[in-house]
Amino acid sequence: MGIEKLKTVLKSPNRSFELKTPVLGASGTYGYNNEFEDFINIEYLGGVVTKGITLEKRLGNKGDRIFETTSGMINRIGLENVGIDCFIKEKLPVLKEKNIDFILNMAGSSFEDYEKLATIVNDNDIKAIEVNVSCPNVNSGCLEFGKNPKTLEELVKKIRNNYDGFLIVKLSPNVSDIRSLALAVQNAGADCISAINTLHGLGIKLNYNGKTFTKKSVQGGLSGRCVKPVSLYYVNQIKNTVDIPIIAIGGIATMNDVFEFISVGADAVQIGTENFTNPSVISDIAVNIEKFMDKNNFKDFEDLKCKIRLEEE
Amino acid sequence: MKKGNYKGKIQSIILKAKNVYEIKIVSSVENILAGQFISILCPNHTFRRPFSVADFENNIITILMKLQGDGTKYLSSLKAGDDIEFLAPLGNSFEILNKKSLLVGAGIGIAPMLFLKKELNKNNIENYLITGFKEQDEVISGSDEVKIGGSVLDRLDDIIKENNIEVIYSCGPYPVLKGVSEIAKKYNIASYVAMERVMACSIGVCRGCTIELIRNGNIERASVCKDGSIFRGDEVVWE
Repeated sequence: MGIEKLKTVLKSPNRSFELKTPVLGASGTYGYNNEFEDFINIEYLGGVVTKGITLEKRLGNKGDRIFETTSGMINRIGLENVGIDCFIKEKLPVLKEKNIDFILNMAGSSFEDYEKLATIVNDNDIKAIEVNVSCPNVNSGCLEFGKNPKTLEELVKKIRNNYDGFLIVKLSPNVSDIRSLALAVQNAGADCISAINTLHGLGIKLNYNGKTFTKKSVQGGLSGRCVKPVSLYYVNQIKNTVDIPIIAIGGIATMNDVFEFISVGADAVQIGTENFTNPSVISDIAVNIEKFMDKNNFKDFEDLKCKIRLEEE
Repeated sequence: MKKGNYKGKIQSIILKAKNVYEIKIVSSVENILAGQFISILCPNHTFRRPFSVADFENNIITILMKLQGDGTKYLSSLKAGDDIEFLAPLGNSFEILNKKSLLVGAGIGIAPMLFLKKELNKNNIENYLITGFKEQDEVISGSDEVKIGGSVLDRLDDIIKENNIEVIYSCGPYPVLKGVSEIAKKYNIASYVAMERVMACSIGVCRGCTIELIRNGNIERASVCKDGSIFRGDEVVWE
């Protein structure tokens, strides 16, 4: 009955993590806790992946930070966030009070940063983390960890040694071979992979006033509906390489999009940019999946997933 | 008033001045304050388009929309009776003080000034609205004084002195808001400015529309969509 049907369990060889529904809010687009409460049916929120959290508070980048593109957007927020101490003191209690499942997204600029963060979240009994090794918008570190398989494996091992919960690593599409990175993450003992982070992008807007051109440009991470085929390609590649579960991210806006990602190997999804266009999209999709399952007599989400993957080409 | 994603119907849409439309929207929104805005969904666009509210009466929201690009072009093609979807009410509102108020609107920035003037009048607060437009055919009515061509800022010294102005409110392009803030500082009076930035989420989550503020000597980043769009002029870090 009801939402029980949408329950999704992410299972790695050593751990499992249960989600209310397979549809989550992606990091950086969903705040820290209940920011979207006015717009969605919170019962149908699979969970929140928090804004990327660093050891210290960060102010993020100056100047223009966002740029609308055809079917998407470019951002260069630069990891503005309240810092881990403030998150634990002010944001965590709201998540608990409202009974919102969440995954803490963490980012750092050195091995030590990630190790310290891992220890802090472990001590605070945070059940799941998503490690951001792929933010294209900060000058130091971050993306560098997500580019080299050896470095990435070393980093994830260090985090693993300090953290007992469900460990997700978020991969970047801005790499030469995502399969070697996915393998590195699995070898290091991560429980799950999420993909993809934003693609490199440059937005240009020219205006001519009759005499001269003025130019506005925003360089950062491209996201939104336009990146869906890229993400489908990478999720498919990751699925063909590793056995741990995959959370797909990239241009998802409808129930059909979710099904497409399941067909190439996703076990759950995150919605990012579409939240800005339609703030109720997460619960809308979850409700639609539930209706679809009721109408077509699927007994649970696992059943639906299996049927989608059995589909012949 | 709880924020929400509302469905509304266009009651009327008329060309009010050159490239400026007045759109009246009927919906179940119960209250909106002067200075707040709504954010309208435009098909095939990632970002909604934010509009300051120019009036709210009998559950009808009035906005003024200047043609800017594809999003506003789409909205201008709508007809009375058409459905629209929008987030409302968004952002903070003008602090209404019992002080002699000067309202400065530049171009389409007149929109929230008209709403504020109405509220001040209701509260019997003395006020004077000056607006500036580049050309005669861009003028939108409702002001106490209209300046065509040049800068609306050039008139402020005289108006402040003649009327013993105690607070200034303004909406318009960045240089006007910066100028208003500087003039207010010169006369040691408060100023409130309605800032504008490209917005993605409209509800303070994505941090895409932030500006720098200085508060108690500390630099902070505030989102125009949630922490604003109205800020104290003396707290904004002007470029």
